Formats: sequence, structure tokens, C-alpha cells
Amino acid sequence: MKFKKQLFGFMDMLRFTKLVPNRRAALAAGADTPLPETWAVNEQARALHPGRMQVELTEVTPLTPRMAELVFRRVDGDAFPFFRAGQYVSLQGKVGDSVISRPYSIASSPRQALQNRLVLGVENAGFFSQYLTQEAKPGDRFVMTEPSGEFHYETLRDKKHIVGVAGGSGITPLLSMAQSALEGDEPYQMTLFYGARRAEDLAFRKELDALSEKGLKVIYVLSDEERPGYEHGFVSGELLSKYVPVQDVTYFLCGPKAMYEYLAGQMAPWHLPVKAVHKDATCCPSLSMDNPRTFTLTVHIRDKVFTVPAREDETLLTAMERAGIEAPNKCRAGGCGYCHSKWLGGDFQVAEGRDGRREADRKFGFVHPCVTYPLSDMELDVPPAE
Amino acid sequence: MKSQGKAYDVVVIGAGNGGLTAAIRVLQAGRSCLVLEKHNLPGGFATSFRRGRFEFEASLHELNDFGSPEEPGDIRTLFRELGVEDKIGWIRIPDAYHLITTDKQYDCEMPFGLQAFTDKMEELVPGSRPSVTAFFELCDEVRAAQTYSMEVNGHTDSEYMKKHFPNFLRAGSYSVNEVLDALKMPKKAQDILGAYWCYLGVDLDRMSFLHYGSMVIRYITRDAWMPKMRSHEISLALETRIRELGGDIWYHSPAAHILTDEAGAITGVSLTDGQVIPTHHVIANMAPHVVFGSMLDKKAVTPQITRATNARTFAGRGFSLFLGLNKSAEELGIKSHNYFIYDTADTVKQYNSMRRVDTNHVQATVCLNNAYPACSPEGTCMMYFTTLIMSDDWSRVSQSEYFKMKDRVADDMIRVFERETGCQIRDAIEEIAVASPTTYARYCGHPEGTIYGYETAGWDSLMPRMMMIAEDAALCPGLRFAGGFAMRSSGYSSAYVSGDLSGRQTVGDLKKEGR
Repeated sequence: MKFKKQLFGFMDMLRFTKLVPNRRAALAAGADTPLPETWAVNEQARALHPGRMQVELTEVTPLTPRMAELVFRRVDGDAFPFFRAGQYVSLQGKVGDSVISRPYSIASSPRQALQNRLVLGVENAGFFSQYLTQEAKPGDRFVMTEPSGEFHYETLRDKKHIVGVAGGSGITPLLSMAQSALEGDEPYQMTLFYGARRAEDLAFRKELDALSEKGLKVIYVLSDEERPGYEHGFVSGELLSKYVPVQDVTYFLCGPKAMYEYLAGQMAPWHLPVKAVHKDATCCPSLSMDNPRTFTLTVHIRDKVFTVPAREDETLLTAMERAGIEAPNKCRAGGCGYCHSKWLGGDFQVAEGRDGRREADRKFGFVHPCVTYPLSDMELDVPPAE
Repeated sequence: MKSQGKAYDVVVIGAGNGGLTAAIRVLQAGRSCLVLEKHNLPGGFATSFRRGRFEFEASLHELNDFGSPEEPGDIRTLFRELGVEDKIGWIRIPDAYHLITTDKQYDCEMPFGLQAFTDKMEELVPGSRPSVTAFFELCDEVRAAQTYSMEVNGHTDSEYMKKHFPNFLRAGSYSVNEVLDALKMPKKAQDILGAYWCYLGVDLDRMSFLHYGSMVIRYITRDAWMPKMRSHEISLALETRIRELGGDIWYHSPAAHILTDEAGAITGVSLTDGQVIPTHHVIANMAPHVVFGSMLDKKAVTPQITRATNARTFAGRGFSLFLGLNKSAEELGIKSHNYFIYDTADTVKQYNSMRRVDTNHVQATVCLNNAYPACSPEGTCMMYFTTLIMSDDWSRVSQSEYFKMKDRVADDMIRVFERETGCQIRDAIEEIAVASPTTYARYCGHPEGTIYGYETAGWDSLMPRMMMIAEDAALCPGLRFAGGFAMRSSGYSSAYVSGDLSGRQTVGDLKKEGR
């Protein structure tokens, strides 16, 4: 190449030989002050995402014949993190020899979290929730995971007018969403349909009535009771049409599976895009089967090995919890991936419609134990809970 | 000490690209290795996440220097040696980049391939061919010289260098802009050729020509490729290889401290629950600031280490937007795979505007479907937008403003993309996720949410780093670094290379010690 010699001057080689001495000198000229141990953004991350928090139950109040309000305060920090209204926490405790945890939507608002107050509305519907609603008392300590989940408003995706449909205890995230908007932290206008069997089954009436006075539109819908001022029946397509422009809103549904199925049928004629309807996840249940077999599950956690029984009608996560093993978990619905574990052997099935694994997880043999049932003896490598 | 576990020849802290690669190198040499990872997944930034119908790529735009099976680049060759090439399904990236500057100076689509690239440049900037050709010839020498330097682990012989790589040495101390000026490259061609600068995150007045040239030639002359199942597929392939080779990998297991004896020699690594893993060798796939600031025993942190670490500058902090769209790329009119959208081709001006969140309108944006149509369901497509914040400006965001601020930046990214490409995507948003510096700090622990390691500018540019590998490592015997904060700086290919290097060098250290 002819340009070579003209490229630069005769000093170029000298300059090159100075690269190392220059860097050496610059490194030696660095400050001798102690290195920082953290940074503002990293502290921000810690505040917003504390991981597992130590919490104390401060109040238990009955809400309905089947639901109780549980109020918590954080004891390993000044306050709960600010979160996105609609999110859930996983509450973890010990009952007998089992460790147990369940996800519960947060009923209180993100602003209240900053005041170190977090409210759950728990329905007495299972082993842990029965314990929480009937036996737990103020002063009891639990582990709570940080608020998580994608069931929340997205400013750049959703319509300005949102419609909440709550069935039973499904009111909790929608209550938080309604409060958060009225506190100025969310930009939407909300119409809330709240269905229950009877008026006495409606939880958080006082809070909802207060929000109504500030502009929240609430329609109560009773299926087993006719009352003036209340709609009667189920939250149907016809009822929705009566109150809202059904094509020009975004739906947030939270309730039992039967409600989702019913509404899907009711809304089908509207041909809404996928993005118009958001459903909160439900916990993965045990399978109903006669005479379930019991297999052996071998669990590796770091350098420890445990051998535990695993019933074919229960998830691998449940099998570990029954044996007192603290395995990581949050959503218990297959989606969050927090329980992501390495499959080492054995046959299994994933709960229908709940395979939230990444494509490569399936290829390389990883499972989400919260939605996986054993079909033979199995072996897993599971991360410790923390 | 609470409990003393099994001893390992090497403990790797951090299962990012560099850490995973290093672990395989250690295991391939027959040494025992434990990888500790604080998250529940391997890969660090090399991962994916699901939202509804979409599985998003977290960070990879394309794997540089990969090449075809027949003409492998350095990274494919490395993957072959690691034993993971065949575990991964690969797709070839079609074109190099689509450069748009919003001052209306540039809107050009550049192809891969030396000939095609040079032809396209001549078409866009008549008369540019000689200088562009000369540029690539010079780059080729740079590449050869760097390969030599890596082969001898930085112990270069100056006479050999002078004989074989004279132009490399001549150009070696200059910035990109100085060299392009010296080559008398037309300004427009310089601007178009400079588009990749945001992948290294330093303006071209301060970026070493050697660094940029070696990257650009790898992009243009060797195909870039991408794993089908997002970068999570690479991470799991590497993870699987570690298990095959008998290595251990523990998730949810952040290392708390690197322990030393009275003389400052490494004796082990402790976990947050107090468990101690005896070892004499640590490869840290993390920032030296964190290792020396809060992990290594204070008595081993010498004044020299403190000064050398304080001297360095954090490079770009990451911000990304991920969109799942309910229309196909074709329906939306999105034609390119990889967009660089700048305000201006003046990289110094651009770099300075990226110091502040509210004046930063730069984006490197990928529509993955244009490389791999099957990456999302029929009738949909997905995009990811990334920018770098060139200061700690994000730290001013309060907790209660956090989500709104993320939305504001994301909104600006969408606005700029729509305005500059004419593709209306907003109404098609079905899934959205936003990662801020806080998100990166949360998952990877890097200071200030830095995703590019230490800035490779001025005195800390790539060449002197390469020439000081041994000297830098001597600061703390038994400890080496891998990943974006290591010698080779950030980017997937660089992280794999740094892991390869640190893994093999640690094996060398073990041999020297006679262990």
C-alpha cells in the first residue's frame, strides 16, 4: 500500500511505545480514597427490588364471611417498595413441618407502601389461607417477596379508559389500581364491575364507597340476590355494554377460572385484540384424580441432596414444600420463572396452558416446578430459596 | 466459618458470557470449577424473557465475528472449541445496518461483505472507494496484529510487530477520526462508516482506531449470526457444557466475600449464608469496582489496586425498550433488522447529548423478525430499542417517579422511530417491557447500571489494555476478570473472548504453581 509511509509522521512509533507508560501513569494517578461500596442507582434497585422481605402482621380484620384483611409492615426496612398497582406478593410461612407460600394481590396502593403499609385481602380457600384468615395474629412474622407481576396498567399499550371486572376475592388488585389512579400515580379512568354472590360477600365496601365519591365508577353485580341499586346476575357482555364503550376500553379481569371462561364467551362477538384483555393469573391447582401414585423426588440444592415423596396429583413445588424444603417460588402459575430449575431425570407433565418456560428451557431440560407434576421418580437441581 | 464445603481449583463468580466461557476452559483443562451466580439463570445480559405470546431477546443484536460454518470467524471457532456450536440453532443476520440521522443527512442501508459494503459506499459517496479500501486493508492488519497479541497473551515482541504489522504500530496511537482524516476519506463516508460507534460507546475523537477498526472489519467481512432461541439458548448451551464437563453451577448464590490469608493470597469464597468454598483462584465476571470495593478482603486491597480502580471511568448505562407488536413487520413497513438512529453523525456532539436522559434521543433498534421471521407468532413481530446514558443522570429519578420516567423515555423512543422511519407502531403494542439502568443494576449488580464496562477511551483504550494483561493481573494474584468490565471491554464477542483468555490464563497460573 503506497499510503503507508505518508499516513502519519515519524513520531508514530514513539507514540505507540508510550501507550503503556501513559496508561500505567494514569492508573497510578487514580484517587487513593476508598472505593465506593454502592451507587445511587444500585440503591434505587435495592429499594425497588428488595427480593425477600421480613414482614410483621399488624392487623387481621374480617371482610366478609370468607375473606379477611391482613395488614403488614416491613421490619427489615423503613418501607415497602413503590410498585405498580395490580401486582402481587408471595407470602411465605411455616405451618407444621411444611413451608408454604402463596401469591396474593396487593389491595393497598403504592403510595401506602411508601408509608410501610401493605394490605392483602385473603380468601379462606386453602391450607395456607385458612391459616392466615383464622389462626394468624398480629405480631406474627412472615417472609414476603417483593411486588411482582405484569397484571398492571401500561401507559403506552392500554386505553385511557379501563374496565376492571372482579369476581369475589379478585377485587384486591383492582382496588389498588383504582386507588393508585385517584392518587395521581396512574393516568387512566376506571369503571369497576364487582361480582359476588350476595351483598355480604362484597369486600372493601367502605374503601370502594370512598373511592366512588372521588370519581371511581363501581357497579356491584350480585348473582344470588336481588337488591335495589345492584345489578343482578353475572357480569355479562350485555351488562358491560350498558355502562362502557366496549370496543374502546382495556379490560383487567381478576377472578376465578369460571369467570374468565364465561367472559371469554361473552366478549367473543366483539373480536377484541389480544392486547385489550388482561387476566390476572391464578394459582396452579392440584389435579383431581383417584388413587394418585407417589414417586420419589431427588432434589439437589447446591451441594446438598434431599429425597422426598412426590404425589402425581401435586406439583413438584408442593412436594418440596411438604417436605420442608424452601424452594424458590413466586407466582405459582408457571409464568414468572422464579422457580426455574434444572431437570436431571424422570418423566413429568406441565399443567395445561401453564408452560411459561422459554424455548431454550424446553430444549436444554429446565422446568418450572410450580406447574410441573411428576409421572415417575424424578431428579431436579433447584436453587436455594435465597 | 460456618461450614467448609468442597474445595475447587477455580471459583467463577458470575455466570455471564465471560464467566461461563472461563468455566468451560478451566474444566477442559481437567481442573475443578464452581460457578456462583446470584440470579436464578445463567447468561447475565445474555438471556430472554417471556411476555404473553412473545419471548424477548434481552440484549443481543447480532453475534459479531461469527462467520459461516465453512468460513468460521473467531467466535464460531471459539464456540467449536468450547463444544457448544452444535448445541445451538443459528441464523444469519441479513444486513449490516440501517443508519438514520434525524438532521436528515443520512438514511442508508449498509450490507455485509467487503465488496458489497465498499460498492454501496461508492454509490452513496462517489470517490470514497480508495480510502474505504485503504481503511479495510489497515483494519485487516489490525486484526492480524491483535490475533498475534492474544496468542502470546500480550507478551508481544516489538521487533516481530515492527516487521509484520508496521501500519498497525503507526496508526496504533491515533483515534478513529484522526486515522480516517489521514486516509483522506470523504467526510460523508466517515460518517457512514462511523455508525457502529454506539456499539463501543465512545465518540470517535476519543476511540482508538485499533479498537473500532478491529470491530468494523469483523462485522463487515464475517457474517454476524444469532441463536434462534434468543441468547438464552447460548447461555443454556454453555451451562449444559459446564455440567457435561463435571463442573458445578449454583444459582441464587451470590458470593459475599473473597477471603485471603495474612499475606493477601486468596483462600476461598464465602456465600451470604456463611458457607465457605476453599479455592486459590477466582475469575470474577463482574466489575472490579465491586470486587475490590466490597468483596475482596480489605487487607488484600492495596493502595495500588484502589488507585488503579478509581482511575477508571464507567461507560454507558443501559436503557432498553421491548415491544411485542400485533402486526407483522411487513404490515408495519419495518424493513431493516438493525437501525441506528442518531440526531447527528457528529459523534462528539452525539455523545454529549447522551449524557442526559432528556436530551438523549439515540437508539439502536432491532426488529428480530427481519432476521428470523419465526421468532414470534404469525402476524406479529418484536422489536427492541437500546440507548446508552453517558453519565449517572438516571440516579436523579425518585422511587415514586420511577415507572413514569421509564414510560417517558420509552415514549420518546417510539416517537423518534415512528418519525424517522414512517412506520406507525404505537397502536400495535401488545406487550411492552422497559429496562432502565436500575434494572441492569438489579440483575447484574454493575455500578450505576453500566452495561458497557469501563470506557475504552484515551489512555484506557483497548491496545494498552491488551499490552498490560500481565501487569493488570499482577495487582491481585489469583484473581482474574471476565466479561464486559474485563480487558476486552463490553459486547458479546468481547465477553466470550475475555472469558476464554481468563480461563486459559488461570489454568496457566495453576500449572505454574504446580497445583
